[in-house]
Amino acid sequence: MIPFTVIGGFLGAGKTTLLNRLLREVTGRRFAVLVNDFGTLDIDGRLVAAHGGDTVTLANGCLCCTIGDSLVTTLIGLLERPERFDHIVVEASGVADPGRIADLAELEPRLQRDGVIVLVDGVDVRERAADRRLSDTVERQIQAADLLILNKIDIAPDLDTTRDWLCQQTAAPILEACHAGVPLELMFGLDRHGVTADTAPPTCFASWSYTWRDPLPRKVLMDLLQDARRGVLRAKGIVRFDDALDRRFTVHLVGRRLDIRDEGPWGDTPDSRLVLLGLRPMLGCLQRE
Amino acid sequence: MSTIVYSARRILTMNPNQPSATHVAVRDGRILGAGTLDQLKGWGKFDLDERFRDKVILPGFVEGHSHAFEGGVWKFPYVGYFDRISPEGKRFKGLKSIEEVVAVLAAHEKMLAKDASLLAWGFDPIYFGGRRMDFRDLDKVSTERPVVVIHSNFHVANANSLVLGKAKITRDTNVHGIVKDAAGEPTGELQEMAAKYMAYRAAGVELSAILSDREAVWRFAKVAQLSGVTTATDLHNDLPDSTVEGYLQATSSAEFPIRILPAFAAGSVPPADGVPRLQALMKKNNERLRFQLVKIVTDGSIQGLSARMRWPGYYDGTPNGVWNIGPDDIDRILLAYHKAGFQVHIHTNGDEASEVGIEAVERALVAAPRWDHRHTLQHAQMADAGQFRRMKALGMCANLFANHLFYWGDIHYAKTLGPERAERMDACGTALATGVPFAIHCDAPVTPIGPLFTAWCAVNRLTASGRTLGEAEKISVPDALRAITLGAAYTLKLDEDLGSIDVGKRADFAILEDDPLQVAPEKLKDVGVWGTVLGGKVFEAPKA
Repeated sequence: MIPFTVIGGFLGAGKTTLLNRLLREVTGRRFAVLVNDFGTLDIDGRLVAAHGGDTVTLANGCLCCTIGDSLVTTLIGLLERPERFDHIVVEASGVADPGRIADLAELEPRLQRDGVIVLVDGVDVRERAADRRLSDTVERQIQAADLLILNKIDIAPDLDTTRDWLCQQTAAPILEACHAGVPLELMFGLDRHGVTADTAPPTCFASWSYTWRDPLPRKVLMDLLQDARRGVLRAKGIVRFDDALDRRFTVHLVGRRLDIRDEGPWGDTPDSRLVLLGLRPMLGCLQRE
Repeated sequence: MSTIVYSARRILTMNPNQPSATHVAVRDGRILGAGTLDQLKGWGKFDLDERFRDKVILPGFVEGHSHAFEGGVWKFPYVGYFDRISPEGKRFKGLKSIEEVVAVLAAHEKMLAKDASLLAWGFDPIYFGGRRMDFRDLDKVSTERPVVVIHSNFHVANANSLVLGKAKITRDTNVHGIVKDAAGEPTGELQEMAAKYMAYRAAGVELSAILSDREAVWRFAKVAQLSGVTTATDLHNDLPDSTVEGYLQATSSAEFPIRILPAFAAGSVPPADGVPRLQALMKKNNERLRFQLVKIVTDGSIQGLSARMRWPGYYDGTPNGVWNIGPDDIDRILLAYHKAGFQVHIHTNGDEASEVGIEAVERALVAAPRWDHRHTLQHAQMADAGQFRRMKALGMCANLFANHLFYWGDIHYAKTLGPERAERMDACGTALATGVPFAIHCDAPVTPIGPLFTAWCAVNRLTASGRTLGEAEKISVPDALRAITLGAAYTLKLDEDLGSIDVGKRADFAILEDDPLQVAPEKLKDVGVWGTVLGGKVFEAPKA
C-alpha cells in the first residue's frame, strides 16, 4: 500500500512552498505529487527528466501531476501508471476540506492514509476565519488536520493570540515555521517500511526507537503514545500485544491520528519495535520505558 | 441564390414590430423577411414550401445552460422516475418503484458482455415514500459484475455488494459519504467523493465528466433538436484537444442539427494560460460551433446540500455548503477574463455564492470599467430582489433554473429552503420587474432538455406533487417564450444574430404542432415539436 498524504490550507498559507521543498530535497523516495497548478511550482528546468502535458517527471524519480478538473480521475490515472511510487501527496485546493480528500485512501485498497497536514497563514488566518463567507471553510480545514503548521511566524503579528486561538480549534500538534520550513521526515515519514531510522536526523528533531522482546501490554503502548501526544509527531511500528499473541499489529501515528491495525499472523519476527519521531525539545521530556 | 418561402399557421417572431406573421422567406441560411406572402413577393423569385402550413413557427429555441454530458449519459440505461426521451426519439417510461428499476436493470444486464460493469443513471428515490435503494436490490441484478446506479443529481450513487467488497467497504469504514443503516452496515448508497470514486473504479466513468467525444456530441445535438433547440451551450468544459477535435469534426457536418457553444472551464487552468487558449480556440469557430464563453463554478447545488447560503442557511440545519472556487480566486479569475474582453458565466446556486459573484463583477468593473460585459449568474436560484437590483445596476444577466421548481421544488419547500425562500426561488417575476435580462434553463443532463417544459415551469411554478411555488414569481407565456429564445440569446451575446425571426438573422426555427399562445398555459409543456430548421436546413424530429 502506498502512503497517501493530503496537504491542505487556505490560499496563501504555504502549501506550494512546502511542496517545492519536497520536490527539491533528496529524500531517496519517489514521491508523486498532485497539484492544482504547475505554474506556481518552482521546478528547476535542469531537473526535469520528462514533460508530458499534465505531468512532469523529475530526475530524482518524483512525479508531479496537475489535478485538472477531477482529482478522482487523476488519482486513478496515477495508480494505473506502470511506475511505482513510494508516497502520494495531494495538494488540496485552497477551499477544499482536506479530510474529505484523505477519505479516498479508505476507498482505495492500494492507498494507506497517512497524514492530513494543514498549513495556516500566521498573518491572516484569524481574519479569514472571521469572514462569514470563509469561516466555516477555514474551520473545517483546521479541524481536519492531523498535523498543523502555523506558517509565516517571522512576519505574523500577535503570534501568541493566534497560537492560543489555534489550540482551541484543534487537538492536533502545532508546528511553527517560516517558509513552511518543517522537517520533511515529520511530514512524510521516514521510509516505506518505516521501522528503522537509518539516516541521521537533522538536529531539530529527534527519534526514539523502542524494542520489546516480550509481548507488550496494550496499555503500556497506549500510555506511551498518550503521554507523548504533545511531543510525538509520528510513530510507526510492529507490535505483538499480550492479549493477542499470535497477531501482528501495525501502529501508525501521524499527529493526533492513531491507527492500530491487525495485519495478520505474528510470524517469526522476534521483537516488537516502535519508532517515535518528534521535535527534540518536546521529545526530550519523554521518559524511556 | 434560391429563396424559399415557408407558409405556416402562424409565425411568432419575437420581433415587436411584427409579432405575428404567416410566411417567412429564407435565403442563404438567413431570414430574408417575414410577413404575408404578398409582402415577401418583392424579394423576387421564390419557391413556396407549404409543409409547415399547419404548424406554428417560432425562433429556434436557445438553451443557455446545458451540458454535452447529456449526450454522454445516453450510452447507459436511464432509470429515472420521470419519462425521458432518448436522442433517437424513444420515450423511456419513468420507473415508479425500486422494483421496477431492478427489473429494468436485470433485463439490461443480460445483454452485457461477460466482464462489463453495469452502470445506469437518472435514478431518483425521493418519490418512493422514504424507501432507499440498497445493495440487496442491486444484488438481485447481479452479484457477478459491478452494478452502479447514479442518481439524477450526479452526486449520489448506489452500488451492489461486489463493488463494496472490492473496495473493502465495511461497517468499519469511516468515510464521509458512505451511508450506513441503523445497525451500522453500509447500505451501498454512496455520496459525493465516495460516489465519484466508486463509480469511476467500477465502470470507468467520472460522474460529472465531460464525455464530449464525437458520438456524445452528436447524441447531445439530437436530443436537443428533438425539443426544438437550435442553439445550445455546453456550459463547462476543460476543452482538452480531444474534445475540441470531436466538436470540430461533428460541427463540420451539414447534418449536425444545432449550433453549440462550449464554455471554457476557467478553473481548470490558470487564467494566464486559459485566456490565450480560448483566444486561439475562437479562431476555429464555424457556423455551428462558437468558442466565446467562460464559466466559473463557485458553489455546489442546493439539493446536493453544497450550496453556499447566506444566513440563516439550510432550513433543516444542514451546515453551509462548499466553495468549488473560493471568493479570492473568483475575483482573480473573473478579472483576468473580464480584462481580456470575455463574457463570464458564473455558477451560483446559493445566495451567498450569488453575492460573491455580484461583488466580484463589481470589483472587476472598478478595476477595469467595461460596457456591455453581460456577465451572467447561472442558476442564481436563491437570488433575492436586492441582488437582482444590484445585477441590474451592474449590467449583469441571469439564467434561472426554472426546471428546479418542478423537479426539486417539494424538497426545497420541506427541507432545504423552507416555504418562504422556496416560493421566491428562480425568481423570473423579480428578474422581469427589476429589468435584469434573463433566460431559463434545464442544466441537462440534471433535468431533461426541453425549453417548452422549462417555459411551462416558469409560467406555472408547479412542483412534482402539484404545489404552486410562488404565485408572485410566475411570468406570462409570452415572457417565458421570449426567455427561451431572444432572452437566452441575449445572455449569450447572440441576440443580434439569432433569437427572433427578423431580417438578416439566422434562419433557425422551432416548428411546433400547436400555437403556444393559444393553448392553456398549463398545457404549454404538451405542445408537440415537429422539428427544427437550422440555417435554412430542415430537421424533422424522429417520431417516438
